Amino acid sequence: MNRKNKFLLYSLLLSVLVLSVVLATAIGAVAIPPGETFRIILARLTGLFTVADIPTSTQSIIWNLRFPRVLLGLLIGASLALAGVSFQGLLRNPLADPFTIGVSSGAAVGATVAMLLRQLYQFSFPHMIPLFAFVGAFLAMFFVYNLAKIGGQVPVVTLLLAGVVVSSFLSAVISLLMVFAGENMQGIFFWLSGGLIMRSWTEIWFVLPYLLIGSVILYTYARDLNVLLMGEEAALTLGVNVERTKKILLVTASLVTAAAVSVSGMIGFVGLIIPHAVRIVTGPDHRTLLPASALVGASFLIWADVVARTVMAPKEIPVGIITAFVGAPFFIYLLRKKKSEIRL
Amino acid sequence: MKVEIQDITFKYKSQKVLDDISLRISSGKFVGIIGPNGSGKSTFLKVLSRILRPVAGYVSLGEQPLEQFSQKELARTMAVVAQDTNAGYQFTVEDVVLMGRAPYLGRFQSESMADYEIVRQALQVTGCSHLRERSITELSGGERQRVMIARALAQQPKVLLLDEPTSHLDIGYQQEILDLVKRLCTTEGITVVAVLHDLNLAAYYCQELVLFHQGKIAACGLPTEVLTAENIEKVYGTRVLVSPHPVFGTPQVSLLPGMRHQGKTQQTNHIHIIAGGGSGGELMRDLYDLGYYLTAGVLSVGDSDWEAARALNLPVISEAPFSPVSPARHQEHLSMLQHAQAVILAEIPLGHGNLLNLEAALQAADWGIKVYVVEEKTEQNRDFTGGEGQKLLTQVKEKGILVTDKAQLYQALAKQFRLSHPFNELSERTNSAVN
Repeated sequence: MNRKNKFLLYSLLLSVLVLSVVLATAIGAVAIPPGETFRIILARLTGLFTVADIPTSTQSIIWNLRFPRVLLGLLIGASLALAGVSFQGLLRNPLADPFTIGVSSGAAVGATVAMLLRQLYQFSFPHMIPLFAFVGAFLAMFFVYNLAKIGGQVPVVTLLLAGVVVSSFLSAVISLLMVFAGENMQGIFFWLSGGLIMRSWTEIWFVLPYLLIGSVILYTYARDLNVLLMGEEAALTLGVNVERTKKILLVTASLVTAAAVSVSGMIGFVGLIIPHAVRIVTGPDHRTLLPASALVGASFLIWADVVARTVMAPKEIPVGIITAFVGAPFFIYLLRKKKSEIRL
Repeated sequence: MKVEIQDITFKYKSQKVLDDISLRISSGKFVGIIGPNGSGKSTFLKVLSRILRPVAGYVSLGEQPLEQFSQKELARTMAVVAQDTNAGYQFTVEDVVLMGRAPYLGRFQSESMADYEIVRQALQVTGCSHLRERSITELSGGERQRVMIARALAQQPKVLLLDEPTSHLDIGYQQEILDLVKRLCTTEGITVVAVLHDLNLAAYYCQELVLFHQGKIAACGLPTEVLTAENIEKVYGTRVLVSPHPVFGTPQVSLLPGMRHQGKTQQTNHIHIIAGGGSGGELMRDLYDLGYYLTAGVLSVGDSDWEAARALNLPVISEAPFSPVSPARHQEHLSMLQHAQAVILAEIPLGHGNLLNLEAALQAADWGIKVYVVEEKTEQNRDFTGGEGQKLLTQVKEKGILVTDKAQLYQALAKQFRLSHPFNELSERTNSAVN
C-alpha cells in the first residue's frame, strides 16, 4: 500500500470508529439523539465547555453507563484484534488467535475459581474476578511457553500444540468446576460467553495501559513480524534476533489478551476474523495490518455489543455469542471465496 | 571478504554431521560445495551463516570471529539465499527486496530514499525491475529465486551463501541464476559460497570446489583437481567418466552404467561387437545393461567406441590410432571371437584400415557363429575403399543376419539367448534357488 492509500484507509477507519462510538452510545433503552450524545461526550472528555441544556440524568446515562461500556468494547475489540494479528504472524498460522496459546482458558479458570470462592465460601474482594482471570491467563501462558521450550528455543509447532493441549485441559477443569458450582452455574456461563454488561470506568483503566503499551511494543516489532513470515532461518539471516523477538511478542500479545479477557470474558472470533478480513485489503505488511486491525476490531466489537444489548432487550445476550454468530459464517465465506486456502 | 573455517564439528543429537572441517576461502572467490546427499554440505552452509552453532571450532569473516557479530551486523556482512523460499505470503516483490534493508534500519526508523534506491538497483541487476509490483506468490520458480538474490543484494553483503539455488529450476533458469551470481562475484568482488547439486554446473561456474563426504572434506581445490573419476567414485559410489568440456575444457562428468562383474557367465551369453567410429557405443551400453558378456575388437585407441568399451571395462583388442589393423591384432581378434555365441557387425565406415574386421566377421560366420549385420542407414554410402569393402560386406550379409534397427537386433538376440526380458535372468535365478 502506498502512502496515499494508507492515509485514506486510516481516515476511513477512524471516522467509522468515531461514528460507531457516538451512535452506539446514543442507542439504548432511552433514545438519546446522536448530536446530544456527541456534545455530552465531547464536553466531558475535553472539559472545554458545559452542556447545561441537557438534563443531568441523560448526561449520567451517557457518561456513567453507556459511554464507558462502548469505550470498553472499543478497547477489548482493539486488543483482541491486535493480539490476533500478532499471534497469526508470529506462529505463521492462519488459525492462530489470542486463545490458541491457552491464555483465554487460563483466564476462564481464574475467573471460575473466583466465582466459586465467592459463592461457596463468601470470599471476595473488589475486582476479584478480573484479577483472578489475569493471574490465570498469565500462569497458562507461562506454562505453555515452558512446555513448548526445547533447549532454549520455542519452535512454533510445539508452541501451537502445547497451546491446544493446555487449552483443552483447562476447558475440562472449567467443566469440572461448573459441576461444583451447581445451581450457580449460570453466572459462570455468562462470564465464559463474554460480555460487557455492568462494566464501568474501573475496567477501562485496568485494560488501557496494557493496550497502549502493548500496541506500541507490537508496532515497533512490525517489521520483524514481516521478516519472520519469510521463515525463521531467513529472518535470522536478515538480522532478526528470532528467539528474543518471539519471546517479546509472545509475552506482549499474551498480556494484552489476558487484560482484555479478564474484564470481558471469552469473546471469540474477533482475534481470528478481523486480521483475515483486514489482510484482504492491506496485504500482509504488519505495519499497516496492526493499526488497521485494531481500528476495525474496535468498531466491530462496539457494534456486536449494541446487537447484544438491543436485539432481545431488555434481556442481554452475551456478546461472545454475537461475535461467534457473525464470525463463523464470515470465516466460512472467506474459506470458500479463497478456494479453501486462507493465507496470512 | 575472506572466510576462515577452523576445526568445525557439528552434531545433530549424537550424530556427527560435520567432523573437524577446516577451510580457507579467499576474498572474491566463487567456491562450490559439492557432495552426495547427507554429506553435510547444507549443514556446513548453515554453520557458516550461524543458523546452527558448531559444538567445536570457529568461523571467522574477515578478521572477526562469527560469534562476535551482532545479528544485524552479520546480516549486513553476509546474505543467504535458501534452497526453498517460503512464499505463502502476498508480499510484493518490492516489499520482499526491501526486507534486505532491515539490518540497516533501527526499530523506529523507516526506509529512506537511499534504501529505495538500493532496492531499485538490486532489482535492476537481477532483472526483476518489471516484477516490482507483482505478488511474490505469482512468480515462477526462477523469477522467485532471482528476487531472493535481489533481496540478498539489498543487504549489500561481502559474502553471499547459496544453498542449491537452482535445484528446482530448469536448465535455462539454472544458467541464468548462476551467470548472475558469477557476475556479482567478478564485478562486485563478493565472496560466493554455493552448495550445488549438479557437478557439471559446479565445474563450469566455480573457481574452486570443495567435495564433502560423510561430514569431512574429501577433496578441495581447482575443479580439475576435485572432479576426478576416482574422487567421484569414492564419494558417490558411482562410476563416471570425466572429460573436458568440449569448448572450454572445464571437467564434465558423464554417467556410466553401474559396475558389474563380467566373466562368470561368459560361456553362455558371449557377444562380440565389431564397431568403430562411434557406431558401437550405444549398442555396447544397451547390451551391457541387458546383461550379456561383451567383447569388442579391433578398435583404434582413442576412438569413441574404444572409449566406450574401456569405460564399460570390456575385453577389447586395440590397435594404435590411425593405423590399419595389423595381422597380429587380427589373429588376437579371431581367437577372442571364436568363443562368442554371436557377433555383431555395427554400421562401421569401411576403409582400407579395417577391412580385416570384415574378414573376421566372415570367418566367424564360417565357424557357424551367428553374425548380425546392423544396417540402419541404407541410403548412406559408407564405403571408402572403392567397392572392395562393399563386396566383403555383401558376403557377410549373405552369411549373416541383416537387422535394420536396434530393437530388431535385441529381440533377435533375446530369442537366440532365450532371454526375452532382463527380468528373466532374475526369475531363472530364483527358480533355480527354489529347485
